[in-house]
Amino acid sequence: MSHLLLAETAPIHAPSVAYSSLSPIFIVLGAALVGVLVEALVPRAERYAVQMVVTIGGLTAALVAVGLLHNTAETTVAGALAVDGAGLFIQGSVLVLSVMSVLLIAERSVDVGSAIVASAAVVVGSPTDRRLARTDRVQTEVFPLLLFAVAGMLIFPISNNLLLMFVALEVLSLPLYLMAGLSRRRRLLSQEAALKYFLLGAFASAFFLYGLALLYGYANSVDLPAILNASKASPKSDVLLYVGLALLLVGLLFKAGIAPFHSWTPDVYQGSPTPVTAFMSSCTKIAAFGAIMRVLYVGFNATAWNWRPIVWAVAIASMAVGGIFGLTQTDLKRVLAYSSIAHAGFILVGLVALDKDGIASVLFYVLTYGFSTMAAFGVLMLVRDADGEATHLAQWSGLARKSPFVAAVMTVLLLSMAGIPLTSGFIAKFYVFKAAFHVAAPLVVIALIFSAVAAFYYLRIVVLMFFAEPPENGPTIAIPGWSTAVALTFGMVVTVVLGIFPQPILDLAAKAATLVG
Amino acid sequence: MSAVLAASHAADVLPASSQNAHVLLASSQNVAGFGNQPLWIVLIKVLGVFVFLVVMTLFAIVFERKVVGRMQNRIGPNRVGPWGTLQSLADGMKLAFKEEVIPLLADKPVYFLAPILSAVPAFLAFSVIPFGPEVSIFGHRTPLQLTDLPVGVLVVFACSSLGVYGVVLSGWASGSTYPLLGSLRAAAQMISYEVAMGLSMVAVFLFSGTMSTSGIVAAQQHTWYVIPLFVSFAIYAISVVGETNRAPFDLAEAESELVGGFHTEYSSFKFAMFFLAEYINMVTVSALATTLFLGGWHAPWGVHAIWSGANSGWFPVIWFVVKIVAIIFVFVWLRGTLPRLRYDQFMHLGWKVLIPINLVWILAVTTIHVLRDRGWPAWKATAIPLALVLLLVVVPALMMLEGAAARRAADRDDEDEADARLTPTFPTPPMDLVVPSPKRLTTASVHPPTSAIAEGEDPDG
Amino acid sequence: MSAVISTAGELTNGQVPLGEAVAFWILGPVSLAGAIGMVLLRNAVHSALSLVATMMSLGMFYLIEQGPFLGLVQIIVYTGAIMILFLFVLMLIGRDASDSIVETLRGQRWAASLFGIGFALLVALSVGRAFKGSKPVNLNSATTNANGQNVNSIAALLFTKYLFAFELTSALLIIAAVGAMVLAHLERETPKRTQKEIARERIRSGRPQPLPGPGVLSSHDAIGTPALLPDGSIAPESVMASTPGVRELPALDNPDNIR
Repeated sequence: MSHLLLAETAPIHAPSVAYSSLSPIFIVLGAALVGVLVEALVPRAERYAVQMVVTIGGLTAALVAVGLLHNTAETTVAGALAVDGAGLFIQGSVLVLSVMSVLLIAERSVDVGSAIVASAAVVVGSPTDRRLARTDRVQTEVFPLLLFAVAGMLIFPISNNLLLMFVALEVLSLPLYLMAGLSRRRRLLSQEAALKYFLLGAFASAFFLYGLALLYGYANSVDLPAILNASKASPKSDVLLYVGLALLLVGLLFKAGIAPFHSWTPDVYQGSPTPVTAFMSSCTKIAAFGAIMRVLYVGFNATAWNWRPIVWAVAIASMAVGGIFGLTQTDLKRVLAYSSIAHAGFILVGLVALDKDGIASVLFYVLTYGFSTMAAFGVLMLVRDADGEATHLAQWSGLARKSPFVAAVMTVLLLSMAGIPLTSGFIAKFYVFKAAFHVAAPLVVIALIFSAVAAFYYLRIVVLMFFAEPPENGPTIAIPGWSTAVALTFGMVVTVVLGIFPQPILDLAAKAATLVG
Repeated sequence: MSAVLAASHAADVLPASSQNAHVLLASSQNVAGFGNQPLWIVLIKVLGVFVFLVVMTLFAIVFERKVVGRMQNRIGPNRVGPWGTLQSLADGMKLAFKEEVIPLLADKPVYFLAPILSAVPAFLAFSVIPFGPEVSIFGHRTPLQLTDLPVGVLVVFACSSLGVYGVVLSGWASGSTYPLLGSLRAAAQMISYEVAMGLSMVAVFLFSGTMSTSGIVAAQQHTWYVIPLFVSFAIYAISVVGETNRAPFDLAEAESELVGGFHTEYSSFKFAMFFLAEYINMVTVSALATTLFLGGWHAPWGVHAIWSGANSGWFPVIWFVVKIVAIIFVFVWLRGTLPRLRYDQFMHLGWKVLIPINLVWILAVTTIHVLRDRGWPAWKATAIPLALVLLLVVVPALMMLEGAAARRAADRDDEDEADARLTPTFPTPPMDLVVPSPKRLTTASVHPPTSAIAEGEDPDG
Repeated sequence: MSAVISTAGELTNGQVPLGEAVAFWILGPVSLAGAIGMVLLRNAVHSALSLVATMMSLGMFYLIEQGPFLGLVQIIVYTGAIMILFLFVLMLIGRDASDSIVETLRGQRWAASLFGIGFALLVALSVGRAFKGSKPVNLNSATTNANGQNVNSIAALLFTKYLFAFELTSALLIIAAVGAMVLAHLERETPKRTQKEIARERIRSGRPQPLPGPGVLSSHDAIGTPALLPDGSIAPESVMASTPGVRELPALDNPDNIR
C-alpha cells in the first residue's frame, strides 16, 4: 500500500525572495499589523497617539527604504514582482502622499475628534451616535486600514504577474471601501458612498478576473513577460488575447476612475471623509496608473497597435466627461471628482507614447497632480459651517474677502489643475503632450481643447471666490492644526516649486523611466 | 430541484467514474485498486453499504433507547421482537403510514427538497469508508470499500457540509417560528464546528501523507493515530458531536426550547428521512473517527499477536463494526449524562477554545515533522516543539485563566459581603426557619410503587 | 451502444471519453439552469439554491476533469460554507424578502438585459472561436497530476510561483476581519450585566413579577388596550410607550429600551 503515500513527490524548493528590494512593502505591512495589535492592546485614550506614531513612522521608514533602493532593477519571488525605476518612483510618490493624507486624517482641531467617525457600527442618528459625535473618540482602525491600502498600492504597480496584481488590487480596494464609509458628518451619505464603491468595485474586480482567466487561456501563464512572448509568436487565434485585455482594462480603468468606468467617482468622493477622498484621489490614482502602465508596456508591448485606439477612445471620453459634466456641478467635492476624471484622461494621453519619454511624463504628471489634489482637499476641510465642511459652490462665493490667504492658496492649486504656466500642472501637461505628439498628434490637439474647457470651470471658482458677493451666513474659516498646516504647506510649495524649477524631478522621472519584466 | 439533481448525480458519478475506466473515463487520479472494478462488484458494494447503513440505523436507535434506559434505571423498549430489538423497525413502518401534514405557509418545493438533501449526502459519505482489506467476492479480489479518491476524506467532509442544507432549508421552508430559529442555530453551529473538525483532520493528513481513506488506514498498521495525535482526536470527537446535532450540542432541535427545532413541522415519511439522516450521520462520523484515529479495520492491540489471521479476509469487518458501536455508545453516554449547553457557551467553546488549540497543535505537529525531515533524532524533534508550546502557549494561557478565575472569585466574595450588609427589601424567611414536614408525603414514600414500570417511551427516540 | 458512442463522439469532437461527455451533458444544463434561475427567481432563497446547484455542478466538473482536490474544495467552501452563510442572512432578513420590481431608472431593466445578453454572446462567440480546432490537453501527465499528485501540484504552485500572492491573501483576511469589526462591533461601554445582577435588580425594584399584559381585565385585548388594575384604574406599564393609539401614558424612561 506504500504506493499511496507520497514518497515519490519531488521536494518543493521555495523561490528566492529579495527581501531588501521588497523592504518598503514589508515595512508597511508590518506597521499595519502592529496597528491592528495596537487596536487590541492599547487603551483607548492612548490609541490615537500610538497609531499616529506607528503609521507615520512606518510610512516614513518605507519611504527611506525606497530612497535607498533607487538603482534597483530586478524581478524577484519567482518573477512575480518587478522592482524597477518606474515602480520605485510610483512607490515613492504613493508613500509621500500617504504621509500627507495621514496628516490630514490626524487633523483634530477643526472638528471634534477628526473627520473620522467615532464608531462606525453605531446606528446613524441614534442617541448614542449623537452623544459620541460630541466626544473626541475616533475609529482608530482607520490607520491600520490605510496602511494596508498603502501596502496594496506599493505592490499593485510592481506586480509582474496578473494573479498577484489581482490580489494587490483587492488589498488596496478593501480598506478603501471601508474608509469611504467612516465620515463623521453626513454619515448616511458616507455609508451610501461606501456601498456604491464596494458593489461597483467588486463588479470591476470580477471583470479583471475574467480577463485574467482568458489571458491564461491564451498564454498558458499569467506572467506579463510570458504573455508578451506568447503574443509575439503564437499560432493561436488572438481573440482570447484581445478579449482578455479588454476585460482586464475594465478593472484597471475603474480603479483609476477613467470614463466610461468613472460613474462611482463623484458620489464616492463626495460621501467619503475629505482626507480619505484626498488619499483616494491621489494615491489610488497613482498606483492604478502604475499598474496600467506595467500591463500595457510590459505585457502588451508587441500588440500596441491594437490597444492604442482603445486608449485613445477612453482618454477622449474621460477628458470630455470630466470637462463637460464638471461644468454643471455645484458641489466642490464633485467638481474635484470630475476634475480627477479629466486629469486621468490627460495622463492616458501620455501613455500612448509607448517610449521612455512617455513613462517619464506620466510619472511626473501623476506626482504633481497628486500634490495639487491632496492640497485642494486639505483646503476644503478648512471652510466650514455648522454642518461640517461647506462644499457648496454658493458658500464659497466671496471667500477672498473673508480669508484672502485661503482663497489665494486654493487659486494657486486650481490654476495648477487647469495647467496655467508657472504651476506644476502646466509643466506636467506640457511634457505629457510633448511625449505623445509624435505618435498621436490629433489626440494631443483634442486634449488641448479639453484642457481649455476644463480651465473654464477652475477659473469660474476663482472668479467666484474673488469677485462675488459673500452669502448672508457664509462659512467660517477654521484655523488648521499643525498636521494640516504641514500637509497643506508641503502640497502648496511642491505645486509652486515644480512649476518654476521642475528640472530635478523631471530628471529623476526620466532616470526612473525603466520597466523590467 | 436542480440541487437534488446535482446531489444525486454525485452519487452516480463517483462509482461510475471508477467502474469502467478504460472506456468511460480514463483517469490517473484513481487510487490503485479502485479504477477498474467490474460493474457487478460495484453494484454489490453499493447495495452492501446501503443495507449496512439502514441496519446500523435500526440498531443504533434501539441501542440508544436501551442504553439510555439503563442509565436512567429503566428497561427501555422490550415489546417488539426479542428483547425489543425490532422496536425501531416497527416505529419506521408506523412513521411511513402516518398522515402527512404540510403547513399552509410552507414553501412547497424547498419543503420537499430538505429531507432529501439531508438523507442523500448522509448515504453518500459512506462510499469512501474502508470496511476491510482486500477480500475475494465470487473469486474476484477487491478491497472492501466502495471507492476511494486521493482526497477521500474530503468527500466525507463535503457530504457533511451538504447535509447542513437539509437542516437549514427545512426550518426555513416550514414557515413557522420554532423551526426557523432551529435552523438559524443549526446553520451557525454546523459552520462553526466544521472548521474545528476540518482542522483536526489536518494533523492526520500530515502524519499519513495522504488524504485517501484507504491510505490512512494502511498508514496506521503499527500505531493508531489516537496515540500520537490525541489532541486532534479529542477535538474531532467534540466537534462531531456539534456537527451531528447530538446532545449536549443539540441546540438546533432543543426540545425544551424549540419544540423539535428544524423538524417540528415535518411528519410521516419526511420526518423519517431526517431521523434516518441523523443516525446515519452518527454512524458516518463514528466510522470516520475509526478510520482516521482508531486504526480503521485493523484489529486491536494484542489480538494480532495471538491470532495472525485477524487482519485478513473478512474478519476485519468485525473490528470495524465493534469500534463504530463503541463510539456510538459514547455518543449515547454523552446524551444520557450531560445537560445542553447555552448557545453562547457553545459558540465560545467552538471558536475560542477548539479552533485556537487546534491551530497551535497543527503548528507543533508541523514543526515536529520538519525537524524529523531535517534528520533530528525522533525524541528531540518531538520534545523540543512540545516543550516550546507548553512554555509559550499553554502555561501563559493557564496562568491567564487562573488569574481571571481568581479575579472573578474575589469579585464574587466582595459582592456577597456587600449583599450580607444590605437588608433585603423583598420579604425573606428567617434563616433559622424550620419547615414542619407534611404527613402525607412521608407516608407516601414508604409504600413501594405498585404499578409496573411502563417501558420508557422516550419522545426523542 | 456503439451508436450512442458514435453520436457522443460527434458531439464531443471525438476526443473526450464517453463518461466525461455524458457527465458534461448532464451537468452543463444543470449549471446553466441554476445560473439562469439564480437571476430570474424572485424569492431570494430559491435564487440562492439555484446558485448552489451551479456551484455543485462546477465542483463535479472539476472532479471529472482530474482535479479532485479542487472539485471537493469547491463543494466544501462554496456550497458548504459561503452559500450557507448567504442563506443564514436571507433567513434573518425574513422569508418574504423578494426583489422590488420598481425601476428607479426608466428602461434600465431592458437596457441591462440587452447589454447582458450582448456581452454573454460576445464572450461565448469569441471564446468559441478562439478554441475552434484546438486539441484538448491531457492533464494526466505522469509527473504532474497522476496517482493523487493533484494536491501536490497545487501545493507546489502555491509555494513557489504564487508564493507572494498566496501570502498576501493573509493581509486580505486581516483586512476583512478588521472591517467586519469596524462595521459591526459595538464596544460595550459598561460591563455586561450578569444574570445575578439582573435578578437582584428585579427583586429590589419593588416589582419582582413581570409587567401585566395589555388588555388584562379590560373589555378588549388589543395590544394598545392597557390593562386595568383591580380598582378599575389603568395600568400604564402594560402597553409599550411606542404603541400607536396609546396617548397620555408616561414614556418608559429606561435607557436600555433605546437600542
